[in-house]
Amino acid sequence: MKAAVSPMLVRLADERATGVLIRERGALYLVDGQVVHAESPAAPGIDDLLVAGGRLPRAGWEEAIARAGARHMVGRFLVDSGRLADGELEICHLGALFDAAFFTLAPSSGPTRFRYGVSHWIGPVRPVSAAIVARESARRRALLAAIWPYPDIDSAPVVPRAPTAGRRIPGRQRRVLSLADGVRTPEAIARALGRPAFHTLIDVRRLAANGLVETPTVPTPPPALPAPLPPFGQYADPDISLLRRLRDALEESL
Amino acid sequence: MPGIDKCLLHVMELPGARGAAVVDWTSGLALGTVGEPSGGDFETTAAETAELARMAAEHAAFAPDPADRPDKEPPVQDLIVSTCTGFHIMRFVETTFDSSVFLHLWLDRDTGNLALARIRLQSIAERLVF
Repeated sequence: MKAAVSPMLVRLADERATGVLIRERGALYLVDGQVVHAESPAAPGIDDLLVAGGRLPRAGWEEAIARAGARHMVGRFLVDSGRLADGELEICHLGALFDAAFFTLAPSSGPTRFRYGVSHWIGPVRPVSAAIVARESARRRALLAAIWPYPDIDSAPVVPRAPTAGRRIPGRQRRVLSLADGVRTPEAIARALGRPAFHTLIDVRRLAANGLVETPTVPTPPPALPAPLPPFGQYADPDISLLRRLRDALEESL
Repeated sequence: MPGIDKCLLHVMELPGARGAAVVDWTSGLALGTVGEPSGGDFETTAAETAELARMAAEHAAFAPDPADRPDKEPPVQDLIVSTCTGFHIMRFVETTFDSSVFLHLWLDRDTGNLALARIRLQSIAERLVF
């Protein structure tokens, strides 16, 4: 798993760099080599978790951006203005940070860039060491594989299967299942519920392992063509005596 | 309105407290830790306690009748594991946004007070998000 982690992240942590690390599927914001924020198009942001989760009205979030965004102090403002408790902000922000980092650090062949000096408007909340973020991303990948080793399920629309009568589905999985309509992907379900995408992937893989949602079939490569026949004339001469004995045996059994 | 670290320091003020953590039970990630880990390192301890917490939260045997608490999450308030040398209390944290977090306290069997710790852990879990 170590090879999957960006070597650049290790170096930036060592040199205590400040800026943003941009990879194919997201970005990690560093201050003094520590991860202070992460964003990925595949993961709901902290605003999604707070607003869709029902903790903050959208207007309250937008006011915080308007009043503290330019100062890069949105997190602090949410707490100081009494909108959130410190613990709530930290739990929610760490949830979003590790979620986006999981997708950002996914093995990819794309380029990795770093822009020095860039900071994020959320501002300081609870920095995490880059080594912990990298290790946790690898652990999460292994956790998903251990539950149900079919990664294609993570990006496909979630298709429910007819439930077995009398089976009790845990509450959190039930809410995921209730939004599975054959159109929404796990990511769309996560946004609707105001939940980290990884947490939804865990539930979707568990549901699939229990036969409650379909596991998408991976398109198989077309079957290889049969080996061409050897050109005429290259066959060994037929064994005449063997053929005779076969004929005789068949006639005897008639 | 203390944050994760302050809450953990309050937890460690309890007599007999050896280690504590705030853990997400869906992913098994420790969001914050203090003191010593009960199982080798904090990451392993968090993943293992999370697995136990998840089972308690999800299994029907522990779920109250939905008529009494309709769809309230998590249905379990706390878990207590006693060993010959210690106690573990896992207190679920109720939040008004979607989360799956608990407080884990490892308590020494001889110097710890389980009843007191359980009550304090409840109030600390409430203050963490209020």
